[in-house]
Parts: sequence; structure tokens; C-alpha cells
Amino acid sequence: MTNPYQQPQPGSLAPLNVRRTSYASVVSGSQQAAPRPATRSSAVAFSNILNPSLDSDNAFHSSQNHFIDPTITMPGMTHASRNGVSNADDRNNVAYGINSSWGSNGMSSAFVHFCDKYKLEYPRTEIDTNIYDATGAGANTSTYDIQATGFLAPSYLRGSVYLQRLEEKHRARIIAERERELSGSKTQPRSGLASNGNGHHTPSAHGPKLHHPSGATHRGVAFDVVEKGAVSPTEENDGINPLPSKWNKYDKEGILEVSNDGYEVTVGTNSTRALSDQEAASVRADHWVDPSCGLYYFEVLVLNRKRGGSEDVPIGVGFAAKSASLLRAPGWEPESWGYHGDDGHCFAAQNTGKPYGPKFGPGDTIGCLLNFRKGHILYTKNGRELKVAFRDINFKDIKGKIYPIVGLKKQGDHIWANFGQVPFMFDIDGYMKKQREIVANEIRVADTRKHLAPDLTETELIQQLVLQFLQHDGYVETARAFAEEIHAEKTALRLNNKEPVKGINIKDDEDANNRQRIRRAILNGDIDKAMELTNANYPNVLKENEQVYFRLRCRKFIEMIRKEAELNMVLANKYNNGGTGRKAGGEFEDEEMLDDEEDGWEDDDEQYEAEVEQLNRLSQEAIAYGQELRTQFASESDGSKPEISKHLDEIFSLIAYSNPLTVPAVAHLLDGTGRVAVAEELNSAILTSLGKSSRAALGNVYAQTCVLLEELRKDGGDGAFVKVEDVIRQIPPSTLL
Amino acid sequence: MSNWPPYFYQQGDLEADSALRDHIFEQFRKREQMNSSTSTATPARHELFEKRVAEVKSPKSDINAIILDYLTMEGYPHAAAKFSTEANLKPQQEDPSIKTRQEIQHAIHSGNVELAIAGLNELDPEILDKNPKLHFSLLRLQLVELIRKCNGGDIRPALEFATSKVGPRASTNEEFRKDLERAMSLLIFDHDSPTLRPELKALLSSDLRRATATKVNEAILARQDQRKEAAIRTLVRMRAWAEQSARAKRLPVPNPLDIELLEEDSADTNGHEPMITT
Repeated sequence: MTNPYQQPQPGSLAPLNVRRTSYASVVSGSQQAAPRPATRSSAVAFSNILNPSLDSDNAFHSSQNHFIDPTITMPGMTHASRNGVSNADDRNNVAYGINSSWGSNGMSSAFVHFCDKYKLEYPRTEIDTNIYDATGAGANTSTYDIQATGFLAPSYLRGSVYLQRLEEKHRARIIAERERELSGSKTQPRSGLASNGNGHHTPSAHGPKLHHPSGATHRGVAFDVVEKGAVSPTEENDGINPLPSKWNKYDKEGILEVSNDGYEVTVGTNSTRALSDQEAASVRADHWVDPSCGLYYFEVLVLNRKRGGSEDVPIGVGFAAKSASLLRAPGWEPESWGYHGDDGHCFAAQNTGKPYGPKFGPGDTIGCLLNFRKGHILYTKNGRELKVAFRDINFKDIKGKIYPIVGLKKQGDHIWANFGQVPFMFDIDGYMKKQREIVANEIRVADTRKHLAPDLTETELIQQLVLQFLQHDGYVETARAFAEEIHAEKTALRLNNKEPVKGINIKDDEDANNRQRIRRAILNGDIDKAMELTNANYPNVLKENEQVYFRLRCRKFIEMIRKEAELNMVLANKYNNGGTGRKAGGEFEDEEMLDDEEDGWEDDDEQYEAEVEQLNRLSQEAIAYGQELRTQFASESDGSKPEISKHLDEIFSLIAYSNPLTVPAVAHLLDGTGRVAVAEELNSAILTSLGKSSRAALGNVYAQTCVLLEELRKDGGDGAFVKVEDVIRQIPPSTLL
Repeated sequence: MSNWPPYFYQQGDLEADSALRDHIFEQFRKREQMNSSTSTATPARHELFEKRVAEVKSPKSDINAIILDYLTMEGYPHAAAKFSTEANLKPQQEDPSIKTRQEIQHAIHSGNVELAIAGLNELDPEILDKNPKLHFSLLRLQLVELIRKCNGGDIRPALEFATSKVGPRASTNEEFRKDLERAMSLLIFDHDSPTLRPELKALLSSDLRRATATKVNEAILARQDQRKEAAIRTLVRMRAWAEQSARAKRLPVPNPLDIELLEEDSADTNGHEPMITT
């Protein structure tokens, strides 16, 4: 092999400029400008009366970004710091690396630095463009973006249930820690929420302060990501294992040294022991690979200094269980698989390897890909896929868990690993996409007659599912219209005109009509009417379903706030003259200012005052109702039922904003989907009280699919590559409220 | 007509094939039974499965979106409009084609292919030129409808249509030619004969109309850069596929796994049964 440093070969170096968009979002919720809610002094005062510990809500929103791992940096930087060359430039890199805002040039400068360090050549412009592309792609898929994660979330796993569950666990931990902190100090400054979040990350604002609780704050995460997870509670307590994120310095052979950031491994310079031919020095990563991710990938870059002439580098990379001795190279031991650079052979639990791929050495990047669905391991070299190295691995039979492993041997052997903290060289996103497409295609040709409804064609099955749903859930009018349309279709389809067509007669069902009226009332925001109707027709339902009753009462409070906010919005638009300087929903304490501006509009002033009056009245009523709620559910809210007090806290926080409708972090509490949820909860309760199944067959189809997929993804099989939400997501969002 | 015989003589082979198929199915059924007997031996695990299913919250807003999506895409405009009101949903994007699509589908369902083609050309003059396969499917359906009409009677209209409209298109394409041959063979067999080959019988059933209508609907949606199929189709297939995969892996899944579609019927006796067939 020629010298890749002084005389870069196009073949081996070209891949450097094809860095992929795959990267880990070690993001702190960066791009999104957090809202800066203006607090009305009066409302704040009231809300404090209502809810003395309102800060806990702020705490939740602000707690998202405390888990940024400050050790996640670019490879070049660690070198600089390790060599003691810590200059201003490096500090910038560190800051950008943490924020992971690739668009900010942080990545490119770190990368450039890295390449300079190792005298690698690359076309600069191309790298920069690719990095910008990556940012663009990230922005486009923002719905999948897990904002405010602080854990390793490689792009190829984005949208997977595994990552979703990692995030849930992560968030739960943050909240728990935050609550613990809060119980210690209850006097967090309220201004915390507004203090940051304008989206500009200055290096000085981050860095050492990151772990400080009162540091930078961001708005909360979109909650529905979690709520739609549809993971059954019995599954949740299964431990979910985080992804490997660095080499484990407590799980290495003695002569190896692991860098502080955990990415680099070298053979120690002052190690006196020489390894025999049968020996090597290995190190495993910090976590085992959880099969439920379906696909796992990491890359190793060989950093050995070139010593001149062609020489073989005895470095091996792969996967191994804990049982494999660290004094042996990957692949030599049982439950260990490796690809070796000095001969290009691959080894599976034996000393003699099979010829596999090209040799590799200084400057080469080797990727290790574990495909649980297919049960095989394959490698990539400098971004190119090599053939499958090991197949038919039955991961169930392996007792230990599998870790990424690397084995070094000689003095000067030196590698750096990418566990997903920066973009991979190989297009792992594309590989993942292909796997998902394979599974999606299998689903596309699945036959519902085989396993769902043997006697019905797919079309008939769907028609019956829909019709049954409409009747079950009390959509009487729709059911009738649908039945008519099906009837017309059947009439058209019959071949013999004399053949009678079976009609579907939607019988007038008093229950269905009642339930429909109740639903209507809730969907219109008239909670009082809904409760009245429920009590008149089903007197026991609200008594027996305290949770539903509680939800209804809370919704009533939310509707009051909503009414006030809507009026507020109307007034703001009306009197601000579309004011460019002030945003909608500004404070009305600025009355005098408005008067000055609109001198001579006496009538308007009178009307304005009346409207402000009305606004205040709505506000007072809402607060009074809120206090009533708090009193009534006080017994539940002190400890015995944490979810009740949590929900109360959440909805009371609405009072803190001058216009919650303009604050994305809380606006979701007000939107119509909340009405739908309450309406359906009540409908289910009524159905149960009537002795009917609480959900229609279509709901069963949905739920069974969720659980079946859960089962199918435990071992990283097909189920890891598909989820039920994907079905919902293909529906254009305009159909959702 | 002397160039189609090879096709007709394959009946014997087909019978052998179906015998083999029956054999395989028999084996399959036996294995299924064995599976079910072993699976009943682990009721506790099944209960756990059922419990987990019961605990899954199927978000109603999602289900509502699925329903509206289905009604809109598959052409049930009245039901879609009613549902938007009743469920408080925004109607799916202003889709001007929903009505036209439904009319075209209706025409095909009724066997009036000429009307459907006219409607299609009006909606999108290029659609048939861009989809020769679709165009051929429609013409073949039209031929089948003509043949159906002349069962035992005057076959001239059908022959004339075949030679003037369908034949020229089929000559260039092997697949089309086979389809045409199959349709034409309907002319010589008695449609009501119990020995009529299944694939010929299938041509005469209303499924061909439905399938053709579905293809046309999908083609229109595709031309409008919309998804081809309603999400509910993916959902039911995903459910079928997941069960199949789980059984293949011998995971502890109750057998059968019922979705309780007919549960409402059983409530007939207490008078709450809302669905009555007359």
C-alpha cells in the first residue's frame, strides 16, 4: 500500500468528501426559537395563588437540555487538547460540537481541523456543501427530529421505536432528576423560561454551564411523539439499553489507552509487555447492542502514523460478547467476530480466518454493520459496502450481549471510532431505508384472507370495519350515508339485474343518538351541555368514572381559557393596526399607548374598554373555576394520584401566558384534538356501562398490530423496521385537526 | 383461431397443480392445528398478550383520520362529508376529483366501460395514453361485458370489438395477448357450466369490475401526485402480515386472534343491535 498521507490516492481518500447526512442528534433543541412568553403580572399573581409550585412546569420545559454530553467533540479537537494545544479555535469547536448545529460551520471547521491534523487532503468546498445539505435534510424531517435530546441518536435509527423508547426513558430520567432538584430548592427564578431560546448559540452560553440546572433553557418537546408511541405499559418496564457511545476504559486490555472522550484507542507508549503471536489487545464499547434497534453500525478510522513502505496493520474490528478474552483479537474467541487489517480475513470464533475483503491500514475507515433482521454482519471500507462476512448468526443462541470491539497489537496502533456522534462515511441511512422498504413491500402484498378475515375480501373487510366503527362510535349520520353508498356500489356490481341486493339498514338507535349528541357538545366546546346530557341519560357513568369526570372538568377550564385567549387574539389584531412592533396577544396594560396612537376614535375607545372588560371577566371566571377545580381535586392531587396533580399543573400553567394560543409549547393543550380525546373517553365509558366493547374492531386491529409488532421487534427482526404510526403518518396532515 | 390451442390443452396440467396445492394446504392446515393445540397449552402467556392488547390506547384522532382518509380516497363522498361534520374534522384537502372518481368507479362497477372511459378522458385526457396497461384493462373489461351479454346469442358485436379495438393493442404485448386469448375463450365455453376453468370464471365475476375500478382510481390518484391507496389498507395488511410473521416465528400469540368484528351482531338479542340486513 502506498503512503496515504503524503500521496493521497483518489481511491482511498475520495470517500472523505462523501460524508453522509447521517449523524447523531446530540442536539439541545437548537434550531427552534423558543417562545418568549410575556407574563401578565396580574395573571402570574393569580396563578401563584392557584398553584404555588407552578415552577415545576417551567422546570419541565427547561430541563430538556441538561443532558448534553460535553465529551462529544470532533476528533481533531481531542487531539489538540490532548497535545495541550488548546486555543480559542478549539473552544469554538467544542461549543459547536456540543450544540451539533452543523449549519453553524462548527462541523466543518472541526472536520477541517481534523484533516489538517492528519494531513489528509480533501476538496473543501464539497465537504462544506455536504454538511449544509445535511442541515437542510434535518430541517425537512423535523417531525422526526427528537428535539432536545442529549443522548446519542444516530440518524439511521431516527423514527424507530427503539430510539423513541430511549428518548422516553431519557426524558423520564430528566424529569425525575429535575423534580428531585426542585424539592431541594423551590425558588427557581421564573424568568428562566424566557432567558434563552432565541436560537442563537454563542459558544460562551454553553460549554461548562451546560450541566448547571439554571443554565440555558429551551421549550418543551412535542409531547405527542411519546403519546403516540402506543407501547403497551407492560412492555415499558423492560429495560431498554442505550447505544454504545464510546470505548469502555474499564473493559480493555491493560496496554491500551482510551482517550478522554472515549473515541480513540492507542497502544500505550510506555507499555513494557510484548504480546505473543496468539495475543492481541482489545477493548469493548460501553454498552451492548440492543437487538431491538434492528440495525447497528459503527465506524473505525485507523490513525496509525505511516512508517514508510507497505506494512500490514494487525488491527481487527467487529463484535464480541463479554465472555471473549480481551487478550485476543476480535474473531479468535467464541462469540466474537472480526475483520483484520493485516490480511483482510474475517474470523468467527476461530484462529484461522477466511479470505474476506481488502487489507486495511492507515487512513482507512472500516464500518461494522450488524443486521439483526438478516442475522448477519458485514463491513464497509471507506464508505463502500463489502459483502456479508458472517451469516445466519442466531443472536438468540448467544448467551452474552454483543459489544462493538476493536483489537490492536503493535506500538503505534491508533484508532478513532465513530459511534454516530458525527456523520458516517457509509450511507447507513440509505441501507436502513432499503431494509425498511423490504419490510414495507412484504406488508404491501400481505393477504388479509390468510390471517385476518378468511371469508372476506380485503375490500369487504374494510367496508365492514368502517361501518362497524361508525355505528359503534355513534357516528349515526355517517354510518347511514356510508351504508347507502355501499348499497349503490353493490347494486352497480351485480351482474343480474333481477338479483336482489342485500341492504344495510342502519336502525335508529337511541343510544347511538344520545352518544352522538354528547360527542357533538364536547366537540363544540360545550362541556356543561355534555355533562348534563350524560347525567340525564346515563346517570351512573360520571359517578363511576372519576377519571373521565375529572377530564371533563379540566376540559371545561381549558375551554374557558381558550375563549379568553381567542378574544384576546381578536382584540390584539383589531387594535394593533397590524402593528409591526408588537406581536399579537400583547399585553393590554399598554392601554395608554394605544390611546395615544388612536386619538380621536372615541367610539372605538368605548368599545375597546367594553371588550377589555369582557376579557377581564372571562379571565376572572376562568381563574375562579380553576380554584374550584383545585379545591375539589385537592385530595387526589396531594401525592396519592400524581397524574391528577400533574395534569392540573399543566393546565394551570396556561394562565401564565398572556395569550397561550401564540405559545407553541402550550398551545397544543388548547387545540381541538383535546376535545376529541375527551369525547372519546366519555364515549368509551358509556359503552362500557352499556356492556358493550369499549372499542370497535378497527381499534382492535390497531392494538393487535401494535403488540404483534412489539413482539416482532424484540429480537431486531422485521418489527424493528416498521411501526403503526407510519400508517397514520402517510395521511396528509390536513385531515387531522 | 388456430393459434390458440396450446393454451386449451393445459387443463390436465392445471389439475395436477391443483392436486398438489390441495396437498400442500392439507399439510399446512394440519400444522396449524398442531400449533393451535400447542398454543392452548400456554394460556397464561396468551392472557398476557390479550392484556397487552387491551392496554394499548388506539388514539381516536388517528382512527378518525384513517376513516376520513378511506372515505375520501375510495370514493364515498357523502359519507366523507358527513363524517367531517360528525367528527369535527377538516375535510381532507379540497379534492375536486372525489366526485368524478366516484362517478367513474360507479360506471365501471355497473359494467358501463364506455362511459367510464369518456369520463376519464374528460378528467385527464392524457391518463390512458400514459397508462397503456390501464387502457388495455378497461378495453378487456368492455370486451368481457360484451361477451357476457351475448352468452349463447349473437357473438358478432363482441368479435367486432375484439378485432377492431382490443386486438391491435394486444398484438404488440405478450401479456396483453394472453389476457385477450383468455377473454376470447369465453366465447366458446358455456358460462354457466360447472366445468368452466376458474380463471375464466373469475373473468365473469364482478371482481373483475371491482379490480378494474380500483386500478383506475389508483391511476387517477397517482396522476394527481396523491397516494395510491388509503391508509386503512396498509393497516389491515400490516396486521395480517404481523400475525403471519409472529406465527412463523412461533411467538406466543393466541390462535385465532379475533378482532371482534361481528361482536355487535351477537348483541342482537338485547335489541341494541344497530345493523340489520334485510
